Amino acid sequence: MKKIFTYTIAALAVAVTGMIQPAAAETLRVGMECTYAPFNYRTAEGTLTGYDVDVAKGIAGIIGADVEFVCQKWDGMIPALLANKFDLIAASMSITEKRLKKIDFSQPYRISVGRLVGKKNGGLGLFDGMGKPVARHFEGVKVGLEKGSTYANWFKAVLPGADIKYYESNEALYLDLQNGRTDVIMTNPMKAFLKFLSKDDGAGFEFVSPQIDENEFFGIGVGIGLRQDNDALKGRINGALKTLTEDGSLETYALKYFPFAIHNEKWVPVEN
Amino acid sequence: MTPVLESLTLIIESVPQILMGFGLTLQLLFLSGILGLILAILLLLMRISGSAYLSAPAMVYIYVFRGTPILVQIFIIYHGLAQFEAIRESIFWAILREPFGCGVLALTLNTGAYVSEILRGGVLGVERGLLEAGAALGLSKRHRFIHITTPIAVRLAIPAYSNDVISLMKSTALVSTITLLDMMGYARIVYAETYAPYEVFTSLMVIYLLMTWIIQRAFGLFERRMSRHIRQ
Repeated sequence: MKKIFTYTIAALAVAVTGMIQPAAAETLRVGMECTYAPFNYRTAEGTLTGYDVDVAKGIAGIIGADVEFVCQKWDGMIPALLANKFDLIAASMSITEKRLKKIDFSQPYRISVGRLVGKKNGGLGLFDGMGKPVARHFEGVKVGLEKGSTYANWFKAVLPGADIKYYESNEALYLDLQNGRTDVIMTNPMKAFLKFLSKDDGAGFEFVSPQIDENEFFGIGVGIGLRQDNDALKGRINGALKTLTEDGSLETYALKYFPFAIHNEKWVPVEN
Repeated sequence: MTPVLESLTLIIESVPQILMGFGLTLQLLFLSGILGLILAILLLLMRISGSAYLSAPAMVYIYVFRGTPILVQIFIIYHGLAQFEAIRESIFWAILREPFGCGVLALTLNTGAYVSEILRGGVLGVERGLLEAGAALGLSKRHRFIHITTPIAVRLAIPAYSNDVISLMKSTALVSTITLLDMMGYARIVYAETYAPYEVFTSLMVIYLLMTWIIQRAFGLFERRMSRHIRQ
């Protein structure tokens, strides 16, 4: 009798403790390279930081999950997600059709944009007050682009009068812009800022266009990758990204590393 | 479509796009071929002048330009020289600013070094006896050079020279690295758009092979003509 009593108490105790303890918090494991500054990298002290890291933490905060970062080499990123080594990819991965065949993506949290860089006060008048390109002012203007970049397609379709020069590397773009072999270059504004405009060599140069964001040509941007058929999680992440966009958090994250925002400032959901 | 048919279609479709660069390839070949030949003759005359002040600089020049990869020469001329403000403000900038100018200059300087050595081989191949005979007939040194040495040296140099012209033609493809859109430049754009390296570069290869064939054939005819007096 006494034994039964003891067991009952013990069982009750276990049950009660179970009820008092909060439900084990959801932990989201997030894969990234950890070496891709300024998006996901370790500081000299070894702290993981960067725009992707901030976004992942921001999302986790809103959906009430713990976040655990997993460092993964780029070429094994998608296989590792599929092998359930982590639940999300936040590694500056562009949303492409090829990748969408294997995995799913959230809405973009960083846009694929191009921006033109030219001489300060160059007076070329390439863009009107509304930020639209003026085709006749592009006639014969020497534009440097990286070989294989998507910007070439945009130029061919929108500004066929421009004189396109194709370069082997991003660095050569800046050199020939300085030499005057090209009048303007079009490149990723983040690269242009980090490698050129923020340096001494770039002192006489500036962005001469708004951010050009043409999904049709440049793709829709960088999203959070997740396994397919996980619509509930995807919905929560998209909801969180909407909040982060609207409350200005994404902009705050970007301004830590760049003097401009790198997301679509209006929340416009895109099909993917 | 079967994969083979698809590849064939891509090969055929890429040809007209690659041929958009044909004109530039030809211009590079002819301009640097002719300028290079003039440079080569100057270098040759310096080499065989008998004066150390003339032959030594020519030897150094030939050593430098034959002893380094042409891609390095192109990069030094295009990227390297542009770094110096003195050059950007000199009259040479008119040529060096343009990738075409840099391309022609690099190819000319390079082929000039090779061709001068080929011509020298031709000159050294002329039989001494013929020159002695010329001297015995009372021809001056200059006349012997123009009327005896030159025609024989040219004939002797043709096979090696035709090789150099072919190799110059192949070298023109390297200018695609300095933004010029020759056939190689266009092929690389088509490749970047289609991700079909095999098809695109196969088409390009066939076009270069045809050009090689034409050059070989032209030199073959030239050699026959130059040798007409020693054939049956």
